[in-house]
Amino acid sequence: MRPVKHTYLWLLAAFVFSVIYLFPLYWMYITAIKSPSEIFASPPTFWPNDPDLSIYPDVWEAREVPRYMWNSLVIAFGATGLTVVFGTGCAYVLARYRNIWVDVGLFLVLMLQVLPASVMVTPLFVGFNQIGLLGWPRTAVVLGVAAKSMPFFVVLVRAAFMTIPRELEEAGLVDGNSRIGAFIWIVLPMARNAILVCALLIFMQAFGEYIYSASIIQDQKLAPASVGLKTFLGPNSKDWNAIMAYSAMYVTPILAIFILLQRRIVAGLTAGALK
Amino acid sequence: MQIEILNLDKHYGAYHALRDVTVQIPKGQFVALVGPSGCGKSTLLRSIAGLETITSGTLKIEGEIVNDLPPRKRDVAMVFQSYALYPHMSVAENMTYSLRIQGVSKADALKRAREVAEVTGLTDLLDRRPRDLSGGQRQRVAMGRAIVREPKAFLFDEPLSNLDAALRVHMRTEVRALHDRLGATSVYVTHDQIEAMTMADHVVVMRQGVIEQQGAPMELYDRPANKFVAGFIGSPAMNFVDGKIGEDGHSVTLALPNTPVIPLSRKAEAGRNVTVGMRPEHLSLDANDGQIEVAIRSVESTGSMAYYTTRTDPELMLVEQGRNRFRTGDTARLRIAPENVQLFDRKTDIAI
Ligand SMILES: Nc1ncnc2c1ncn2[C@@H]1O[C@H](COP(=O)(O)OP(=O)(O)OP(=O)(O)O)[C@@H](O)[C@H]1O
Ligand SMILES: [Mg+2]
Repeated sequence: MRPVKHTYLWLLAAFVFSVIYLFPLYWMYITAIKSPSEIFASPPTFWPNDPDLSIYPDVWEAREVPRYMWNSLVIAFGATGLTVVFGTGCAYVLARYRNIWVDVGLFLVLMLQVLPASVMVTPLFVGFNQIGLLGWPRTAVVLGVAAKSMPFFVVLVRAAFMTIPRELEEAGLVDGNSRIGAFIWIVLPMARNAILVCALLIFMQAFGEYIYSASIIQDQKLAPASVGLKTFLGPNSKDWNAIMAYSAMYVTPILAIFILLQRRIVAGLTAGALK
Repeated sequence: MQIEILNLDKHYGAYHALRDVTVQIPKGQFVALVGPSGCGKSTLLRSIAGLETITSGTLKIEGEIVNDLPPRKRDVAMVFQSYALYPHMSVAENMTYSLRIQGVSKADALKRAREVAEVTGLTDLLDRRPRDLSGGQRQRVAMGRAIVREPKAFLFDEPLSNLDAALRVHMRTEVRALHDRLGATSVYVTHDQIEAMTMADHVVVMRQGVIEQQGAPMELYDRPANKFVAGFIGSPAMNFVDGKIGEDGHSVTLALPNTPVIPLSRKAEAGRNVTVGMRPEHLSLDANDGQIEVAIRSVESTGSMAYYTTRTDPELMLVEQGRNRFRTGDTARLRIAPENVQLFDRKTDIAI
């Protein structure tokens, strides 16, 4: 049977590619628990001879991981929250009202997306400095990151809103909802998956954000984990197992969220394709 | 009056969608709005629901002026052409949604929904999602959702147009029976004049935002106010032939071969140019008795009815009961029943 053969072939291909993609991740986890000499051994070992898990608590303590992680979380939640609250409203309006000004607005929103963070950071720094926001650097970073991710969110969520027929909302109005009520109880639940997926992607991006944090946050006590990682990297840094342990602690929560919600994410990204 | 629409006007920017529309709907009446596509039927219905703001005029529901009230304060239920069922809710949730907004307890709302489900035949489907229903079942849910509310009026926007022909005919009687049982007041939009004629107590014929005529179905059929209504109501459509009133004012000469002259029962202005309207069932064919001789261009027979067209200019359409007695290419004599002939002014198209 040909089709069955093909299925196995595809599965094999998928497996091979997964191995290639996941190998760096694997390498990060095992390098963390190797001894320093084994890290540089040639040929490399694919499983540590003498796994040393104590590196994790050591780095957790010595590198003040909890504080850095907390700052990362504050920035990620702040930026995601801002983006979702304002972006959802914005996307809805842009989806429902059709005129020339909406198109102009959408174009401007997309323009923002084109500008890279490294270009934006200097004007942002100057601007935040002038209005005194540098006194609250995490807030400043939250604003910057939210502004940066807003176009992405607005464009995708707007597309999701546009697939929701207007008549459903009108049915809601006739059934006794106010305009806001119809939005909250009819439109939002239907766009829930799309919003959730976009929010998650933005959260992950904000959790790893580096450029704004590194330039705006001067005080290490307020810096996120991405900036904290930089403190390892000197001209002759050699404690690779510590760096890898730190990285593992940094990315594992995100990976966990992603795996837990991956069904939702796939469903959200293909929504509308089915129907 | 349950619903009063007085001198209503609606503009979309520069476009004048409804002009000076006045309709009075007593409690318990079934009103049909008919007209060709784009004539403003949906706009009028949506104005009653409050989904469109009106430019001028007065709209009253149960005597209260509702011009500026939002839809939720008007207490009307609407059935959309696409049904607009909430896809993220089960059938039961769809049906109880408006009650729950009004603050009815969940148990009471569900009890009401069960009763309505009984009537509409949805009892076994209450836990399903809309996407797991057939088109006909969705249509029932949409109706059920409206009925549960016991609203002041039902508004239907072409609710049967997505169903197949047989089900559509069946649902016509069912919707009407439901209306009568509930003692409801209904406004029903359709582009299908047969639906309007068979279901409604009162038919409103619209064209380009204007009401051309309104009245009881048979009144529109027997005494159309103008050529448009005459041509729109009735199937197959009325035949129109140019004609001229004779010198005595009591006859009309038709622009057909052999210029037949038809006596008129009432007096008309002598020499006036008119359009003569003749319904297909008021014409008949006979082997030797009739005003003119015609050749038959085509014959369609359904068994119970025979439809003929003639090889004349303009072509005439005839309907007869029973099997076809003539075949394509035959010649026969055409009889025109004088008492049923309608006259319209040639220029203004208004009935004389
Ligand atoms: N939002 C709008 N803006 C501008 N013009 C509109 C708008 N909605 C409707 N119209 C116009 O108003 C006219 C009446 O529309 P309406 O939907 O009431 O027609 P209809 O009689 O229901 O036709 P159909 O049988 O095709 O549904 C149409 O010419 C339409 O183009
Ligand atoms: Mg319409």
